Amino acid sequence: MSENTNNEKSMLDNISISYTGMFDTEVLSVLAKDIEGTLSSDEKVNKKVFKIFIELAQNISLYSLERAKSATGEDMGIGTMIIREFDDCFEFSTGNKTTMENIIPVMEKCDNINSMSREKLREYRRLQRNMPAGEKGGGNIGLIQVALTADNPIEYGLIKCSEDEYFYIVNVRINKEQPSEKKTLCKTPKKSTINE
Amino acid sequence: MEDIHIEGSKGVYIVPTVHFDAKTGICEISGESFLEETARFYNPLIEWIKSYVKDASHIQFIFKLTYFNTSTSKWILSILNELKMFEKNGGKAEIKWYYHEEDLDMRDDIQDYVVDTGLSIQLLPFE
Repeated sequence: MSENTNNEKSMLDNISISYTGMFDTEVLSVLAKDIEGTLSSDEKVNKKVFKIFIELAQNISLYSLERAKSATGEDMGIGTMIIREFDDCFEFSTGNKTTMENIIPVMEKCDNINSMSREKLREYRRLQRNMPAGEKGGGNIGLIQVALTADNPIEYGLIKCSEDEYFYIVNVRINKEQPSEKKTLCKTPKKSTINE
Repeated sequence: MEDIHIEGSKGVYIVPTVHFDAKTGICEISGESFLEETARFYNPLIEWIKSYVKDASHIQFIFKLTYFNTSTSKWILSILNELKMFEKNGGKAEIKWYYHEEDLDMRDDIQDYVVDTGLSIQLLPFE
């Protein structure tokens, strides 16, 4: 996680958009419009944050342990999202409750993604795209897409809530300065944390 | 054979605009694609292509998609695989993909589809 997450005041000061609650489609569409339209003056950056939002919000809707029924009776996940703005980047964070059993494969997937160069990630995405459609959503491609769109590693953390429940946090940085040509990334993911 | 005309919309979900013309063989998908039930939307399009190419020697496909989510990306691959099959069987599929030149992610996406399918896709900048 970013050093800023250790500083509560700075964290609150930098918030552009935050939301906690049910990730149902109505709320998602309002948040998506805010992100796409008003986050920054750079459309390219807004589009990237929007694309990351769609994939990560969908993960909360589908996989959060904490669930509720939407107005239309759909079963939806509950979670948190925060977008913070810094001088050189936006940080997009999501959090939701999970179990150790469910989250271990996801964390392994993040480690695997973070270890790959951009070219390798594209190859991996092609491989996943050719697999039969998963049982829910876009299957394994979502996290790969997040890493490719952000051009930064996926940072994650886990906080123990109770004997069986953990709060899983994902943090992705989107640089404000976007390259005019893509180069192979030098990936230096910050150490992921598990706090008990 | 009926044409397909779907007007795109941006509500809770984002529906792309689709125009498939059975008389000219010109098929266009434009806008953005983030749907609740991707299969229900794209399956009829795939079926239309399968049916059209049975008696056709040529099809023109124009993509003007500026955003699609990962779930949609699998269906785009399915469409391209149908066009690939058509070419294998002796048909001619002319594919154009318009994109914003500064959108390097989209350019990468299109190039990856070319690698995946072996199809020739003409990359064109939006005017």
